[in-house]
Amino acid sequence: METPILLHRISRIDPTCLADYEAEGGFKALRRALMLRPERIVEMVKASGLVGRGGAAFPTGVKWEGAARQPVAPKYVVCNADESEPGTFKDRVLMEGDPFAIVEAMTICGYAIGAEKGYIYVRGEYPLAYTRLAHAVEEARKAGYLGASILGSDFSFDIELRRGAGAYVCGEETALFESIEGKRGQPRQKPPFPTEAGLFGKPTVINNVETFANIPWIVRNGPEWFRSIGPAGAPGPKLFCVSGAVNRPGVYEAPMSITLRELIERAGGVKDGRRIQAVLVGGAAGAFVGPDALDVEMSFEGLRQVGAPLGSGAVMVIDDRADMWEVLLRIARFFAHESCGKCYPCQLGTQRQWEILQRMRQGQGQPGDRARLEDLWATMIDASICGLGQTAGSAIRSGLALMGG
Amino acid sequence: MRITIDGQTIDVAPETTILEAAEQLGIHIPRLCYHPHLTANALCRLCVVEWEGARTLVPACVARVREGAVIHTNSERVRRARRTILELLYSAVDLSEAPELAAYAEELGVDPERFAGGERREFPVFDDNAFYVRDYNKCVLCWRCVQACADDLQFTYALTLSGRGFHTRVDTFFHAPMPETTCVFCGNCVAVCPTDALEAKVEFLVEEGVPVREAIWQRRHGEG
Amino acid sequence: MPEPMPLVARDAIADIITRWAPHGRAGLLPCLQEVQEITGWLNPEVCKQVSDGLRVPLADIYGVISFYSLLYDRPVGQVIIRVCDDVPCYLNGSQDVLAALEARLDIRAGETTPDGKVTLEVHPCLGRCERAPFVMVNEEEHGPVTPDNVSALIPDT
Repeated sequence: METPILLHRISRIDPTCLADYEAEGGFKALRRALMLRPERIVEMVKASGLVGRGGAAFPTGVKWEGAARQPVAPKYVVCNADESEPGTFKDRVLMEGDPFAIVEAMTICGYAIGAEKGYIYVRGEYPLAYTRLAHAVEEARKAGYLGASILGSDFSFDIELRRGAGAYVCGEETALFESIEGKRGQPRQKPPFPTEAGLFGKPTVINNVETFANIPWIVRNGPEWFRSIGPAGAPGPKLFCVSGAVNRPGVYEAPMSITLRELIERAGGVKDGRRIQAVLVGGAAGAFVGPDALDVEMSFEGLRQVGAPLGSGAVMVIDDRADMWEVLLRIARFFAHESCGKCYPCQLGTQRQWEILQRMRQGQGQPGDRARLEDLWATMIDASICGLGQTAGSAIRSGLALMGG
Repeated sequence: MRITIDGQTIDVAPETTILEAAEQLGIHIPRLCYHPHLTANALCRLCVVEWEGARTLVPACVARVREGAVIHTNSERVRRARRTILELLYSAVDLSEAPELAAYAEELGVDPERFAGGERREFPVFDDNAFYVRDYNKCVLCWRCVQACADDLQFTYALTLSGRGFHTRVDTFFHAPMPETTCVFCGNCVAVCPTDALEAKVEFLVEEGVPVREAIWQRRHGEG
Repeated sequence: MPEPMPLVARDAIADIITRWAPHGRAGLLPCLQEVQEITGWLNPEVCKQVSDGLRVPLADIYGVISFYSLLYDRPVGQVIIRVCDDVPCYLNGSQDVLAALEARLDIRAGETTPDGKVTLEVHPCLGRCERAPFVMVNEEEHGPVTPDNVSALIPDT
């Protein structure tokens, strides 16, 4: 097993101790960054090939460049720590176990794009992560890593924390902005994209926690080092959240060349020696694959070949004892419960999808239900405002297909 | 900017929306939440069109043209989305007083009963003031009234959306009756409602069978 | 008639509002969250104070409260027990844990005990899938939980 990178400090350092973080290389990347021109940092992130780890897999450097080019002030750096994709808990592990890394990464980003203010929006159900981050921000400020004239430079940057209040949709970046602005978390129509008009209508870089966690490593070790990890089209380390019917559920770090089978083996294999019925990859917004797909490479391209997105890196193992209907009903209920209600396809479609599934499960399906679902899925994918509606049918569709429906 | 809509080429000013560009060609794109004097939110998605090269359909009310754009406003993909959205709407809301939607439905071959049998959005009729009644059984959540009440027109802020998902509704502070809110009874919300969910009291009474004179008297002096 | 609020609580609420007032609308969510920690739920009276302090319309405040599932527009118990019922928790027996809690508290999910002490909720996902089945008691974390040890989750009342 390779030496972990993102999980390097987890459980090895005291996450409340700045000195521990510094002793393990902490803030060296920020020191290095401040000696370089901001454009050079953007170039490094671009050259690394890092893509967003929240689910959308957008190239991080391109995002940073987009915001850096905007000739307006202020700009913002936002950390999307509203991790709420079912089956996903990697960001929580990072925030609880290595909070200074997020602070360091955001500060580097602020320097690179010319922002002086950052926000971390932490999922409301993660009180410990919030406490650890709040403490890290305070310690970093005391030590001169945040605030005015950081480390004697002419760069100033500070971070404020916000807690989510129980809405999955706020993981969608524009809904998250609305929430920070004190509104209902309803996604905005894009364009404009956040790099142009994001938080408070200003150019904003918003990245996921895990995405940020890669930044100090890239700045310290260089883009070539980063690209040497993992397959060509998917460089860098990746965190996978393995849960469900496995012996050792947890967060596992691996290059994206790992196969699904190897990942499940690292998590101790299937519980009670049972057979795998299905694996949900990418969370509720992801897709089910069958036991015949276990040798798939966990990269964007590998998973695409079996019709699943890598998404947030969630891997839920469903064994042969589980009732797939109960699994699908939970996913359908989840989307009906979490739809924000703004656009019609999702507001109405998630409710009808759940109802149709309930009656099918009770053996009371009506003629034409399959065609109804097909129209719902096509319409939610094609016409919803945001990713919630666009993915609300994905797991259901793939799950029914596995069940022979 | 030169663009192509349904095979016709046209030069339009930058910043023109697809809806406006289509209008210049005499092409009518169905719409529901859009209102020319209110902020466009692209939420009903009836105005979606196919833009060659785009991953998903694009809402014509807010999407701005780009040089060389090739757009189809009535392709089968577009019609499928519109048809499904209307069928979903009929399954949840009373659209009996929305003639424009009925015309779209007919043109698209909508079966209003297709998604019937599920939960509908049902409310008592709120008849709590002398000026208008609120029948949210007919409300399509276009946001027009909320916006007219707030920053788009009146700056009164009596209305909000509450809840979320299917259970979103237009509401007041803790469901307060209108006279207990900041409402100034300007009538702008009634004027912009596309489905008669908001209706002037006199009109409502007349529809209920009250003679016109009697209705006007009631509206002025109250029922008893 | 609701019980009058203790003076200390009233002062604490006033402090919170004063602290967030300069943020205006952008201070709304943290302000409501902090107020709710004192009041348990966001009653119309405190909403009016927040509205005055932050200059946010009352209707908008209600719209926000009703949008977020961790903000309450109705009274809830001093203790909120949230049982995760996401797929990994379901696969590891969340239904049995929920049934055991319902039996022990003699209420159904979504209800509050008649003495107003405990509210039981089913949560769509708490993000502790490696500790399934998982239960949160206010901010305390418990998992994996078994139906036999649910009594330990219920605070002495």
